[in-house]
Amino acid sequence: MSAIHRLSDLLINQIAAGEVVERPASVLKEVLENALDAGARAIEVHLEEGGVRRLKVSDDGDGMGPEDLPLAIERHATSKIATLDDLEQVATLGFRGEALAAIAAVSRLRVTSRAHGAPQAWSISSDRRDVAPAALNHGTVVDVADLYFNTPARRKFLKSESTEFAHCADVFRRTALVRHAVGFQLTHNGRVVHRLPPADPRRRVAALLGDEFLAEARELDTQAGAVRLWGLAALPAHAKANRDSQFFFVNGRFVRDKLLAHAAREAYADVLHGSRHPAYVLFLQTDPAAVDVNVHPAKTEVRFREARAIHQFVFHALNRCLADPTAGVLPTEEVAASIREAPTTPFHATVDSSRWAAPSRQTPLLMESANRAYFDFVAPSPQLADGSSAPPPPPAHEADDTPPLGFALAQLHGVYILAQNSAGLVLVDMHAAHERILYERLKTVLDGDPTIQRLLIPAVLALGPADFAAAEEHAPVLQQLGFDTAPIGPQEIIVRSVPALLGDAPIADLVRSLLGELREFPASQVVTARRNELLATMACHGAVRAHRRLTLPEMNALLRDMERCDRIDQCNHGRPTWRAMSLQELDRLFLRGQ
Amino acid sequence: MLLLTTTRDALLSPLQSVSGVVEKRHTLPILSNVLIEKRGQELTLLATDIEIQIKTTAQGDGGEDIALTVGARKLQDILRALPDGTPISLSLDDKRLTLKAGKSRFQLQTLPATDYPRLAPPAAEALRFSIPQGAFKRQLALVQFAMAQQDIRYYLNGLLLVATAGELRMVATDGHRLAYASSKIEAELPKTEVILPRKTVLELARQLADNDDPMEVAIVGSQVVFRFGTIELISKLIDGKFPDYERVIPQHHPKLLALDRATVLAALQRAAILSNEKFRGVRLVLADGSLKIISSNAEQEEAQEELEIDYTGEGLDIGFNVTYLLDVLNNVTAETVEWRFNDNNSSALVTLPGNTQFKYVVMPMRI
Repeated sequence: MSAIHRLSDLLINQIAAGEVVERPASVLKEVLENALDAGARAIEVHLEEGGVRRLKVSDDGDGMGPEDLPLAIERHATSKIATLDDLEQVATLGFRGEALAAIAAVSRLRVTSRAHGAPQAWSISSDRRDVAPAALNHGTVVDVADLYFNTPARRKFLKSESTEFAHCADVFRRTALVRHAVGFQLTHNGRVVHRLPPADPRRRVAALLGDEFLAEARELDTQAGAVRLWGLAALPAHAKANRDSQFFFVNGRFVRDKLLAHAAREAYADVLHGSRHPAYVLFLQTDPAAVDVNVHPAKTEVRFREARAIHQFVFHALNRCLADPTAGVLPTEEVAASIREAPTTPFHATVDSSRWAAPSRQTPLLMESANRAYFDFVAPSPQLADGSSAPPPPPAHEADDTPPLGFALAQLHGVYILAQNSAGLVLVDMHAAHERILYERLKTVLDGDPTIQRLLIPAVLALGPADFAAAEEHAPVLQQLGFDTAPIGPQEIIVRSVPALLGDAPIADLVRSLLGELREFPASQVVTARRNELLATMACHGAVRAHRRLTLPEMNALLRDMERCDRIDQCNHGRPTWRAMSLQELDRLFLRGQ
Repeated sequence: MLLLTTTRDALLSPLQSVSGVVEKRHTLPILSNVLIEKRGQELTLLATDIEIQIKTTAQGDGGEDIALTVGARKLQDILRALPDGTPISLSLDDKRLTLKAGKSRFQLQTLPATDYPRLAPPAAEALRFSIPQGAFKRQLALVQFAMAQQDIRYYLNGLLLVATAGELRMVATDGHRLAYASSKIEAELPKTEVILPRKTVLELARQLADNDDPMEVAIVGSQVVFRFGTIELISKLIDGKFPDYERVIPQHHPKLLALDRATVLAALQRAAILSNEKFRGVRLVLADGSLKIISSNAEQEEAQEELEIDYTGEGLDIGFNVTYLLDVLNNVTAETVEWRFNDNNSSALVTLPGNTQFKYVVMPMRI
């Protein structure tokens, strides 16, 4: 007997299941994707014991006829693609044609389906494999019971029921986030966990991530050519201790992609404390042909044809969105309230993504006119200069002319500035705010061509093959950053100049980390980051210290500077620089009008 | 047990000459101590950080022979705070050193002298020469400012000493600029190159007297010994390959200008005020008969200085870190300095007229 023999179909499918069906959550992901690809408008998920005992997904999609059912649970059988061309621009979530077969190999699977307009439903199960008539109104029901009943080794790797359920809930949330026009329901052990009617994207986000997230997040919607990025990015002050609140979708598919995560991280780098993680829900729409999703069976990784362009696009879009000064945003309370009170959209309403640009929740800034009004107002009081007369009272009655951060009232314990604007009270940490203003100013001056110090004793670096290749490939980028490099040996490069600002930094370390990043990602912020560290220190030393007495004109000048400054909401270390309390909040504090 | 009776000053001055090498922070507690040793009438103080060791001797009267170590900084601070010329006595009771001065009394803990790490003076001294202290000190001053500080290229954190037939050269560089100075010595030596650690160089510059008293230098293996006055300084050498300084010094820079040192120094100092505080760039713009010094900072403030000079030829617009220029002008004493340039990508050479013994090379900055 020969040593090599063909494996049985069941065994092949069980091997494939190792990759595709890792845990109940991956079953749920595959089945949900099938439901969505079938055009479902309402999907119900029932789980028992974290999805291990039973996992049932019912949809109202197109359904299948009796002739399709046996093929549906066969390996490499699908309706989603037919040719290689289809694969290259796949628009459906699934396409590999292996999920149901893999699931069937490791569980007791029953698929019941009724095609549109068909007189009756049919059903097939993984153990009998023949099609039998069944009862169902419309759509498809995929019922997965006793997962891994025949592969006990796999079963041992499963975690506790609550952990497996948490993973399933994650999958459910990701799917529901992106398909806001589809109704979803999740039931666990007979208890309803989520009931989500079709909604506009904002309300879906609020339902899944909380009103708080929505209130603290900023909307963005940027388009460049065929690429569009939209969604919500939480303000840095609401960053999380872990990455759980990061949702990135590419063409409607949840991805956990290093390139995109890196771009987002870079965009937040300047406003976020090092150990915090930003929270965001972002959707990237691009030509399906420009992105390869067939990298991994689970499809959470993607490859972009224009990786560098995508990285830069995401970075700049987010960076810009975070940079805009927010002074003047309505108190968060009102935003949350407006969401709660808004009428619910009727079931099955179609809402497209253009509704992201939903009602503007920002009061018009009117900074220019406000500033002018303010300066007109202070200018004719020359007696201010000698400080002999009391400063005039802030023009509180002219609510419309009040600048977003209002006018300073006093200084509290030499640390905070109290100011009054039309909505209520504004508290400013003067050191943090001044630090950010100086920092942004320094950065603006230094953007552009760097000053370069040429080296008298050039540094010679021995590099590994990957770094060496990166050094050759990215020589122009390095040059632009101020590093004049050239290869001088099979594994050595020579560095003839460095950016003057980093003249005292260890050159070898800097170039190595730069190359390391250039290798991984198409663009590097290492040098900018190092430079910014230096500038941040300079800004910190230059900023007014606590316990410096400021006069009212000085405080007002600081407030006006803040309104003009990018990224003013956080100091260089990611701490907030100002907080607002509306009159309503103050009233509540004193039980007024209750 | 009485160990020593002396005056404050007789103990303080030798202590001060050794305590400079004691590091403030140490993982090895005994290294913050100074070793005090007395044999008969000779009192020896010794301090080390394992890389450098300084020993000095003084007259010590009364009491018995001792060898102990005690916290250098504390002892020095106590002595300094006592009035001049106070008589003091040291005695040892149960491992504690008692210092009495009038009605003041201090008890300090000691650690055994046998545990104190010492650098043994090399047995065979391969290379030996003598040079006046003052001459060595002045030569150090011409180059030591160009040493690197905490560079990972550890061999730059020091000063290259080259002894050849009848000549002693010193070279220091931090990778951006390089200073070179040579002097005549009366000794026929085989060519020897060693790198002195930065700390040793600074300690020498601090301790050497500006006079013609001789200093004896002996180099052997990985150590160097300097003996001058009552002091013996032993230092380890930096083991590394110093860059080839001769290749770095340009030979044929065509643009030459002679400048009055005081004038250009003052102009640069003024321009430096408005240069960028971080990288301190200034532009030198050379034209027929004129040298402009221009600087500007992050706030767009600008300084411009113009010097009338004796120069005709091609113009030049070149940037430098002003600190590097100020350093050389502050450390040379000549009235006139000569600057040589090529183009704005190559180094500039600073020399003194009629003197081939000093050279300073500095790389430009692209602003």
